[in-house]
Amino acid sequence: MMIGGQSYQAGAGQGRPWTFYALAILFGAYLLFLYGPMLVMYVLSFQGPNGGVTFPMVGVSLAWFADIVKPGQMANIPVSFARSIALASAVSLLTAAISIAAALAFRRRFPGSGLLFYLAVASLVMPSLLVGFGIGLGFKMLGLKPSLFTSALGAQLTWTLPFGVFAMFAVVNRFNRSYEEAADDLGASPWQRFIHVTLPILLPGIIGVAMGAFTLSYDEYARTTLVIGDRNTLPLEIYALISSATSPTLFAIGTATTAVSFLIIAATLWRIFHIQRRRAAAAQ
Amino acid sequence: MTILTRPAAPLPRLLLPALPRRRLKPWLVSWLQVSPLAFILIVLFALPTFLFAVVSFFDYDRTGIYPAFILDNYRDLLTTPATIRVYVSSLTFAVIVWAITLFLGFNIAHFLIFHVRSAAVRTVFFLLCAIPFWTSGIIRTIAWIPFLGRNGAFNQIVMGAGLTSQPLDFLLFSRFAVVITYINLFTLLMVGPIANSLAKIDPALLEAARDAGASRSRVMVEVIIPLSKTGIALGSILVFTQVMGDFFVVKAMSGGQAASIVSALATEIQAMQYPPASASAVVLVCFVGILVAGMMRVVDVRKELVK
Amino acid sequence: MINRNLQMAGRVSAQPRFDVELVAVTKRYGQTLAVDGISLRIAPASYCCLLGPSGCGKTSTLRMIAGHEHITDGDVLIRDRNVTDLPSAKRGTAMMFQSYALFPHLNCLDNVAFSLKMRGIGKAARHDRARGFLRLVEMEDFADRLPAQLSGGQQQRVALARSLITEPQVLLLDEPLSALDPFLRGRMREELKRLQRELGITFIHVTHSQDEAMALADLMVVMHEGRIRQSGTPREIFEQPASAFIARFIGGHNVLSTPHGLAAIRADRCRIGQAENGAGCSGRIVAVEYQGPVVRVALQTPAGEQASAIVPDSLFFSAPVRPGEAAALVWSEQDVHYVQAG
Repeated sequence: MMIGGQSYQAGAGQGRPWTFYALAILFGAYLLFLYGPMLVMYVLSFQGPNGGVTFPMVGVSLAWFADIVKPGQMANIPVSFARSIALASAVSLLTAAISIAAALAFRRRFPGSGLLFYLAVASLVMPSLLVGFGIGLGFKMLGLKPSLFTSALGAQLTWTLPFGVFAMFAVVNRFNRSYEEAADDLGASPWQRFIHVTLPILLPGIIGVAMGAFTLSYDEYARTTLVIGDRNTLPLEIYALISSATSPTLFAIGTATTAVSFLIIAATLWRIFHIQRRRAAAAQ
Repeated sequence: MTILTRPAAPLPRLLLPALPRRRLKPWLVSWLQVSPLAFILIVLFALPTFLFAVVSFFDYDRTGIYPAFILDNYRDLLTTPATIRVYVSSLTFAVIVWAITLFLGFNIAHFLIFHVRSAAVRTVFFLLCAIPFWTSGIIRTIAWIPFLGRNGAFNQIVMGAGLTSQPLDFLLFSRFAVVITYINLFTLLMVGPIANSLAKIDPALLEAARDAGASRSRVMVEVIIPLSKTGIALGSILVFTQVMGDFFVVKAMSGGQAASIVSALATEIQAMQYPPASASAVVLVCFVGILVAGMMRVVDVRKELVK
Repeated sequence: MINRNLQMAGRVSAQPRFDVELVAVTKRYGQTLAVDGISLRIAPASYCCLLGPSGCGKTSTLRMIAGHEHITDGDVLIRDRNVTDLPSAKRGTAMMFQSYALFPHLNCLDNVAFSLKMRGIGKAARHDRARGFLRLVEMEDFADRLPAQLSGGQQQRVALARSLITEPQVLLLDEPLSALDPFLRGRMREELKRLQRELGITFIHVTHSQDEAMALADLMVVMHEGRIRQSGTPREIFEQPASAFIARFIGGHNVLSTPHGLAAIRADRCRIGQAENGAGCSGRIVAVEYQGPVVRVALQTPAGEQASAIVPDSLFFSAPVRPGEAAALVWSEQDVHYVQAG
């Protein structure tokens, strides 16, 4: 986690300067701006069965939620949602594993490290659709069919890996090499050292990267759209529905999927918190 | 106890042979560790880029594409006024969005790092900023529609408060809507890197500046902003490339009033006109590449990130 | 019992000539020469201190003996075994890191038992042995605590137990007392000396504090700019420093130019008085420092050289002097020790 919070204004306990209030108001306004449209969406998803996509609310109902699971146009939503989760999980695990290995490698200067670094930067700043375009083109020329866990996975990795690797650099830099030397001293082989010392100590950072990658993948549509094949992930399914069927169902979908991702992340965090709590208690 | 002030004659290594060492050379270990990353970046990024660069020189017609080396695609692209128009439009969006997100991002990051004293509260605030990203960007974009439309929430509030009598039309399906959406989506890209840079500033530096008599604004200008150069550069790179590479927001929120470079590209891809699409892609890549290279001159990115 | 185990752990010969031998050991970092062809022999079961200012190469030397630093040139022998190309775990050494490097995710017991776990020893057996070593350092009650819950001194003792459980032939300590407060430092100093005697193995202890080195060492090795300047017992070095640098670094000496050359004179053998019989130098008093049992009087000669006298308090107060007064520093000729420059 980041350090900071040391105010360079008057010492702690003294009054806040006017800039504090100004910035606090700005931050509050920003949060409102950030959440505003989403709140509107959450509310409108409970729109009455005769209402439209804007206010006023014509009654309150769960009709549009029901629409998601009814057979029909929206029927693909739960399936594509499941696909999104599956893909995001795969991307997140792969990103975490590949990032930690790469970050450990970059502790030394090795031939080609500069080139690889700038390649990662380039992958990050390249307009997403072009990446998908290139991969799609390649698949087409090789006669391969694009699909979820080949081309789509690969395209998303070009997006999540640079983020993951750069985040890992920060994590690994904070890691004190003495721990590894101590492990060496005590007879650990390089693999034992990695499993028993390096990995456990870096674990919180790795989990952070995994969760970040999950979010990036889940939300991703630009890189994925040209290489997804014929089975959409959720963002692409929604994209397809926007032009054809604009109804409060879209909002219901948004609310429902937000709730599910919220639950997943909250559950993961709670689990981690629980494990840490148990470890600290055992030490008492 | 022996005293030795002169070096002894070195023992010949043959008499006491050293036991062999079985260890990999360090750079080889690094290569092995970095190979998955290298593989993915080369096969799934570098090669495809090279591929469409090559295809940009191909010939095409209604039935297919033909390997060739012609410059027609580029000529057509660069001499069409529409191309210039759309680049200018995208660049305008990018600059406006960049300026606003920089202002917002810097102040928010500054608030979170320097004004918020409790680490727990800071974490909560960061989480609050990040939670919206658990909802798909597409959904968040279209969520603006009921908010900004003629019958939308904003107009209802504003009319209800008596500020206007007519609903404000320009809010939705306009350039304004596009900019608002970009800001909503991309401000966090500024907040993150800048907050990271600010957190690395040693508080002792700021106290020393204050002791030397600098007012708070001088401290900001002379100390804080220069030291957060990296974060600003990184955030700027991210925001610029996201705006230049966008195809969805412009389409959904501008109501046809604006076009984006990439959405035009997407249309060509739909029509299977790969060579001109590739040429378009190459021109965009070069353009973005020059921008990014320029921004990276400001800061040594590698040193900052890898340390 | 632990003694015997450690003695039986001596691999090659029951009576090696030296515990540690460095033969023309050199360390280069790129273009920088950190350690310049040093040679050293340490007798069995001695307490050796590597002493020197920052950047003199003492830590690099220690890490090369440990195997954590690649040796650019030369050989390191441990009990007559050439270990130059061996990894750290196979040298028969154990290292105590300056930051202790206790694994933060393991409790004390698991930290100490770590090396046994790496060797594949079962949980019950290794926990048993680990508890024994925790008992040795009086940390048995803290077995279930995490390192973050311990004080600096406690962490150090656990780190010590963790190193000793590997039954090393040589224990390497990297500035072990620097992070402790003065009171704790004194106690740990006694602990370390006692442990070394009881265990009967060699300790190599890196420090920049001459007091520490003189108190602990059987063999004191003064290093500067990558080379060994003098090695011997603390008494030999204090009474007969080989050069002006050593005289100044070791403290308690005045280095003055005399008609016969550069001389080092112990400050506690100097007195403030009249320059009648014996040697002396005159000048102006610049400082009078009360230090409890003694008073340090600093004097500056017209040539600009500084010298001090360390005078017992009763003697000083019978004829006190003040800063600014003209005075003379006197000593007897037999206390003059001529040194080389540099």
